[in-house]
Amino acid sequence: MLTKVIAFIAVAITGSLLLYGVADFPSFGDPNSPANAGVEGGAPSISQYFITESYKDTKVPNLVTSVLADYRGYDTMFETVVVFAGGMAIFAILRVLRSKEEPPKPQSRAETFVHGDHNRIIVGTTCKLVIPVIQLFALYVIAHGHHSPGGGFQGGVLIGASFILLALAADLKTALSRLNEPNYIRLACIGILIYAGFGVLCQILGGNFLDYGVLQPVLFTDGPEMARSHSMLGVEIGVALTVSTIMFAIYANLASRGTLNEGL
Amino acid sequence: MIFVILSAILIVTGLVFFVGSAVGLLRFPDFYSRMHAAGKGDTLSSLLVLLGLAVYQLKDFHGFSEDWPILLVIIKILAISVFILITSPTSTHALMDAGWEDGIKPTIQKGSANHLEEDTKDI
Repeated sequence: MLTKVIAFIAVAITGSLLLYGVADFPSFGDPNSPANAGVEGGAPSISQYFITESYKDTKVPNLVTSVLADYRGYDTMFETVVVFAGGMAIFAILRVLRSKEEPPKPQSRAETFVHGDHNRIIVGTTCKLVIPVIQLFALYVIAHGHHSPGGGFQGGVLIGASFILLALAADLKTALSRLNEPNYIRLACIGILIYAGFGVLCQILGGNFLDYGVLQPVLFTDGPEMARSHSMLGVEIGVALTVSTIMFAIYANLASRGTLNEGL
Repeated sequence: MIFVILSAILIVTGLVFFVGSAVGLLRFPDFYSRMHAAGKGDTLSSLLVLLGLAVYQLKDFHGFSEDWPILLVIIKILAISVFILITSPTSTHALMDAGWEDGIKPTIQKGSANHLEEDTKDI
């Protein structure tokens, strides 16, 4: 009880501080705000800069992607780390590594009365039809993030959802046989390493961290702009790996209370 | 013009079915009949509205050589409708099955023939 009161006080103080900070923001879409109009006699407008110059800088038509993965690449890298840390936190809290002998499950009505297993036939056939399409579309969303809405986070969530659908339709064991626990943790780490690796590679070649322009000799592109474009695709793939595997890891741990041997 | 009228008819028909399924969802007596209304009505009305949108795209179509992007949009809309046609009835079925497994009994009117007992005695 006391801990709940203390937690409530902490949440209330943090929330009111955040609300207090929001009050000083310019209103949404305000054309006279410093970001949109620039500071008089000082910095020019940053929104105008992105709208007019981002295509020349990066050769990426979708300026949201170019801002997210290039100008603000540092921020996006740690967003991915936050997703990874969330997954690891759930792993640390829920995962039961030394499980006792499972008590025999009481036979559920599903096992007693579905003779022909008609439910599994209908749902299973639909999943067979749908899951490949979802995964193909996810790859399209990842690869097409430069030209249309999409990118690593969205495509990663789609891939994760396809695995969750498999776990819901069949059971958790089937989904884990496709993507087992050591592999999904490995892939989540590899995703972040790909992203950070692009940054470190830039530093090795003499640029700043995540300053993709200097990767031109490594990627064999026509100019530093195309190197930026291709590196953005690379980091999106890293983001997608981490997000998809962590999505599935969170589902698997939550649905089986950390034992990973039964599902919903 | 013909395409606009045709798409309007399709969309309005779809909306009528939407209203029907919403009314059914609110008024039907038990879980199974409500799912029946939601599953059937939603699927058909979404399909009709999407088909209406696909037909509406045809109004600017004059020739394949210059207007092929319109065909691309139509193919995308049709792909969405195929997806809905497959997934929506399946989710209704899965929900219904979960309800049966959970022991929800259908409402049976007094005086009507009750086949539930004999239909389910061997399962």
